[in-house]
Amino acid sequence: MSLPTLAAFAEEFTPATQAELARFMADNAASRQRVLYPVGGRTALHFGCPAVEPGVAISTAKLTNVIDYPARDMTVTVESGIRIDALNELLRQERQRLPIDIPQAHRATLGGIIACNAGGARRFGLGTLRDYIIGITAIDATGTPFKAGGRVVKNVAGYDLCKLLNGSLGTLGMITQVTLKLRPIPETTRWLWASFGSFQEIETTLEKLLLSATRPIAMEVLDPSAASEIAAEARTSLPTDGPLLGLAFEGGAHEVAWELDTVQGELKLRNPRQVVITPDAEADGLWNSLTEFELTAEEPLTFKANLLPSRTMEFLELATREQISVQAHAGNGIVIGHLPDRVTNAQTAAGLLTPLRRFVRQYHGNLTIVNSPETWKQDIPTWGEPEPSWPLMQRLKDQLDPQDLLNRGRFIFPAPIPMDRG
Amino acid sequence: MSVSTPAAPTFGHDVLRRLREIVGAEGLLSQREELLVYECDGYTIEKQVPDVVVFPTTTEQIVQIVKLCNELQLPFIPRGAGTSLAGGSLPVGGGVMIALTRMKQILEVNLRDRFAIVEPGLVNVHLTQRLKGTGYHYAPDPSSQGACTIGGNVATNSGGPHTLKYGVTVNHILGVEAVMPDGSVVTFGGPAEDTPGFDMTGLFVGNEGTFGICTKAWVRLTRDPAAYRTMLGIFETVEDATRTISNIIGAGIVPAALEMMDSGIIEAVEAAFHFGFPLDAGAVVLIEVDGLEVAVDQEAQTIMEICHSSGAREVRQANTPKERLLLWKCRKQAFGAIGRLSPSYCTQDGVVPRTKLPEILRLIIESGKRHNLRIVNVFHAGDGNIHPIILFDERDADQVQRVLHASDEILDACIELGGSVTGEHGIGVEKISFMSKLFTAADLATFLKVRLAFNPTGLCSPKKMLPTAGACGTEQPIVRTGVRAAM
Ligand SMILES: Cc1cc2nc3c(=O)[nH]c(=O)nc-3n(C[C@H](O)[C@H](O)[C@H](O)COP(=O)(O)OP(=O)(O)OC[C@H]3O[C@@H](n4cnc5c(N)ncnc54)[C@H](O)[C@@H]3O)c2cc1C
Repeated sequence: MSLPTLAAFAEEFTPATQAELARFMADNAASRQRVLYPVGGRTALHFGCPAVEPGVAISTAKLTNVIDYPARDMTVTVESGIRIDALNELLRQERQRLPIDIPQAHRATLGGIIACNAGGARRFGLGTLRDYIIGITAIDATGTPFKAGGRVVKNVAGYDLCKLLNGSLGTLGMITQVTLKLRPIPETTRWLWASFGSFQEIETTLEKLLLSATRPIAMEVLDPSAASEIAAEARTSLPTDGPLLGLAFEGGAHEVAWELDTVQGELKLRNPRQVVITPDAEADGLWNSLTEFELTAEEPLTFKANLLPSRTMEFLELATREQISVQAHAGNGIVIGHLPDRVTNAQTAAGLLTPLRRFVRQYHGNLTIVNSPETWKQDIPTWGEPEPSWPLMQRLKDQLDPQDLLNRGRFIFPAPIPMDRG
Repeated sequence: MSVSTPAAPTFGHDVLRRLREIVGAEGLLSQREELLVYECDGYTIEKQVPDVVVFPTTTEQIVQIVKLCNELQLPFIPRGAGTSLAGGSLPVGGGVMIALTRMKQILEVNLRDRFAIVEPGLVNVHLTQRLKGTGYHYAPDPSSQGACTIGGNVATNSGGPHTLKYGVTVNHILGVEAVMPDGSVVTFGGPAEDTPGFDMTGLFVGNEGTFGICTKAWVRLTRDPAAYRTMLGIFETVEDATRTISNIIGAGIVPAALEMMDSGIIEAVEAAFHFGFPLDAGAVVLIEVDGLEVAVDQEAQTIMEICHSSGAREVRQANTPKERLLLWKCRKQAFGAIGRLSPSYCTQDGVVPRTKLPEILRLIIESGKRHNLRIVNVFHAGDGNIHPIILFDERDADQVQRVLHASDEILDACIELGGSVTGEHGIGVEKISFMSKLFTAADLATFLKVRLAFNPTGLCSPKKMLPTAGACGTEQPIVRTGVRAAM
């Protein structure tokens, strides 16, 4: 795994309170105006463009308070430095959850996953982080705290800055406190896997499943190499005799049993090679490995592509021809791909990615880099090709952080040429 | 930079001629009698006649209108069906009203990729009708869906009875095309999820017309539920009903819908629709669960048990699809039936944490007594989103004053209980004065900066949502003289 330029993070400030952080940021803006790099659990520092300018890492490590958990309202308000597994544990006691799949939950923090808009397979049935954040507090680059939303599940007062900050990679403010809407934990979670002769056969199956009598909450597609890696990690077995379609069901035990039964009948008509139901005891582990796949990067480069769901299987076909191992959240048109080990330099990587990027651009998508050696990032556009709304995003950035103090150069905004390299 | 509110423009023949050149003679209204229809929306307490209303039929025409407004420094405001209950489409800033009702095509339905592309003037229910039989639907279903437009829904982030389980408008919008306040056309998001960069679509939804004019929306289609169970819980008192609702949510059950109607509303809808509601009940709760046939009975059973143990007098089940539809008709047209109770009414849209419902309903009843007003309630109880409806006669100035006092009192109480002053109707012009109670000066300044990124001149929908004059950089609170006094 590549590391961010450590020099940029040489100095670190870890406030004990939100107020202390605000003071620090206000002082910084008024005096030295150093670049600030928000950090949480450090699980995603490789994400985005490398930090090239020296600055100060500001950490949420000590902002871990649970402010309020009125479980009967199904909402929780916490500070942003809380670790995801600690949050999950707290919610589990009330049989509730934030139904978002987060890799490295023992290290990742809530603020960090929001900044990166993390998520996984459950997004098909349960949506993404944006659907669960109902209130947010952040501190802007001048040290001024601001909030949006509130603590109730329905609220349209003011602009929805919860959405704006989700996925903003810390470029608009340091997120310090969040209110989430929660869901009950279902009784059962089960996975069913079917292998097929080709991705094209899976596409036909997905078309049929659009009117399935069942309601899967995840639709994953894996190529055999990704499947064997994920299965090994989870100590379970998955068919590897062809591209693999996985369907997850959640709900009451009785309901899920009926769905597994029914969907097997539906799948039979599509002539799968093998159908396997993951044993109950292995379902959680498998879900974890599916979620971790994105970050298990021994591979040289990991990308994320988005495109129309109906074109996703074609994309996978194209990618796997180059031995790229792939995982698709097929119902949403999201693909995670790891380049093969034989790729040892940026030019080869760029060569492989160009036709893939061209393909997704035809189908309303883009291709971004999740992880790669830092030096490759000069040759491969980390955030994909420019989108028509980027100039407006720049205007928002200029309004909220006119000095460009927060995560300078790491997001879509053009990086200034640093003194020591320029 | 500080610029004052755009000066009141004069609508000389020249302006009208140039607008007519863009939209044609049949696409423009400028006679006072014709304009009266547009003097208010569903919020009737304040009125202001627009200077001119134009009805563009294409995005290109909107671009030209907006560019002309910029050239002449005229304010402009988008309008959908005018069902806003917060004065969202009230032309308080004067200028050109851009009515989107002639842009109402469904441009594409793509079931494989689960989206539709629609024009902003499309009436919400028309999309539902078009999708019937496909196995998919567009989930947000505001009670006004027979009239309101998708563009209006996008602008206000509308909710509805089924948003309890399925989420509000923003959870179902994939992308938006908009004419920006400077006349440029931008697309945010689109049919593929996760466009790199900020979530501009999410930010755009709920902007109340202040970020530009939505000219196209990519909406997510949702799989139809396989089965429904629709129940009617009947309660002696409002208190019993609200406690039951808190208990259902508290037990970790999220039904598809959970709607309460009190005795005042029951009386009105029964007179209108003859459903057979018990006229002696204190309140009824419409409860719907949906999902797989194998699951809904169990869930319905659990809910019925909670109803009984929380003091329900009786729980009825809708036995046929026809009965279910009639129940929903009663609920969705409840506002319409209020005409039977009084000449005018004013609806509030507060939100409280769901466990605080008994408390806020108690406060509403007390407030009605204190101000000698009749208040009836029909609302999205599962979300904690109250809609106290205050009945009055707008010819009675003293009564109108009391209505305003009671409204303020109720919304203040929502804030005190940890809630908000609007769950779905928006701030509009009606609730601007509450913004500084909900938000700090720094919060409001941040909102203003966000608006300036989209709308730097303030010409687009001035004097809306934020307690500022709406023009570039000005931050004086609006003094809405005459408004309240006139009532
Ligand atoms: C009987 C009744 C029941 C209702 N029930 C509900 C309910 O259950 N849930 C709910 O959320 N609301 C409800 N409402 C409120 C109202 O219907 C919604 O706010 C609706 O979204 C408004 O849509 P519209 O087309 O009428 O918009 P308008 O009232 O015309 O406009 C509303 C706002 O949107 C802006 N706008 C309109 N079109 C555009 C566009 N194309 N681009 C940019 N801005 C635009 C306007 O400037 C204005 O600020 C109800 C109203 C009534 C009268």
